[in-house]
Amino acid sequence: MPNLGELASYLVSLVTDAVGSSSMRLGAAPTVSILIVLLALLSLAARPGVRWTASDLGGLARVGRMMALAAEAGNDATIQLGSAGVSRAASATDRFQTLGALPLLGHVADAAARAGVALRVTTNDPVAALLAQSTLAQAHERTATPERASSAAVEYVGEGRPAAAAFALATAQPHGVAVVAGGLAEEAILVLDGVLGDAEWSLAATASGSQLAGPLLSGDASLVGPAFFQAAGEIGARGQARTAVLAANRLIWGAIGLLLVGSLITWAGGPEVAAFLTGR
Amino acid sequence: MRRSILAGTVLVTGLLVLLDLMIVNPSLDVAAGAVNELLVLLAAGAAVGGGATLVAHHARTLAAGGGDSTGSIVLLVGMAAILLAGLRPGSTGSSDPVVVWLVAALLAPIAASVFALLFIFLLGAFRRGFTLRVRETSLMAGAAAVVIALLLPVGGAAGDWLAAGAGWMRDVPLAGVFRGLLIGIGILVAVSAARSLMALDRDDE
Repeated sequence: MPNLGELASYLVSLVTDAVGSSSMRLGAAPTVSILIVLLALLSLAARPGVRWTASDLGGLARVGRMMALAAEAGNDATIQLGSAGVSRAASATDRFQTLGALPLLGHVADAAARAGVALRVTTNDPVAALLAQSTLAQAHERTATPERASSAAVEYVGEGRPAAAAFALATAQPHGVAVVAGGLAEEAILVLDGVLGDAEWSLAATASGSQLAGPLLSGDASLVGPAFFQAAGEIGARGQARTAVLAANRLIWGAIGLLLVGSLITWAGGPEVAAFLTGR
Repeated sequence: MRRSILAGTVLVTGLLVLLDLMIVNPSLDVAAGAVNELLVLLAAGAAVGGGATLVAHHARTLAAGGGDSTGSIVLLVGMAAILLAGLRPGSTGSSDPVVVWLVAALLAPIAASVFALLFIFLLGAFRRGFTLRVRETSLMAGAAAVVIALLLPVGGAAGDWLAAGAGWMRDVPLAGVFRGLLIGIGILVAVSAARSLMALDRDDE
């Protein structure tokens, strides 16, 4: 029976073996730089709200009033979560903007729920659609308006940036409040024009460096570049953890279902569904 | 408790991928690879779910007889054509000639046609910009006009001067502003990512 000394010796040798069989991918200086940057960011990440001056970025404080006016006029509200999505083949910065847009969606959804305005969320990514559904559900829970939950809907418009642009143009109509928030690329102007169009009040928000002119030209209010993430941080990511849990649960059930169905089809001699869907 | 489990899972997987980025280790490589495979699987599940939802939505639209029924029919027929081409017996999947033809001869030109509208809609955006905020839009339009003038295809000494001016404009003021924006975006992306990784929200401040 091994004693504590042997156990400790085994653990130490395990660690030294692991270290011995490893090497630095980026070299010493870049690795240390990354770690220092991470440590410096931790202090900012802990309490950004009190370190940076808060202001009414993007006119977000007006959303409640504009939503009330939309309710009086019988208009609806819409929000488009950009075209980068979460699981799409876009750059990490672009996809992260979709997550950054969720607090903005929560803010708009709260106002819509309180005012009783129908809210429609559109996205070209199914994972983003799941996150948006959870965000809407929480907004109705927060505002104690479960009876109005049916007036809010999330719509997946299909895959691809052209799909997002074409859908925005094809379904253009006057809204009470219209928001585009998230990563955009060359289709930005088309999406912005289609969604914001003749809205009574509109907000365009993106941190995509190459598309900053679009929001400045198209929206009554705009959040561009770093302001996009700053505004999301100031609003706060209330319940973001719960949003992720709810969306992840659905996603896992979907993946299990896909595995079972795909396996059954392949087992029955059918086509390789997984290979076709993943393009392999 | 639920939040702690999520935060822990996110933290562990995030650190695993980060460590794999910095350190070459066979065990780490395998673990990070497994995480990536799981992500691909989840994304595939979500894509199928999204497609099914899309079909259900447009089938409902057709059944109800409201909305854009022509658009719904086109979408459903298009989806059916792609699925039939890729999943029919004997098909080679996404590399099947029929699928490739559908993408190259139909989807790509349709997408290009949509993007060809950009110029017209850019002019429309400028019109809207002038309505909303004259001063800022005038500045933007003025800068755009200067850049266009500098890029005019003019020959001789004047052309050289214009080309040099265009190069300076691109390399100094534009690049400076763009880099500043990118640095700001990078810092705030990193801060937001760290907050997500640690499950920090407003209630923690």
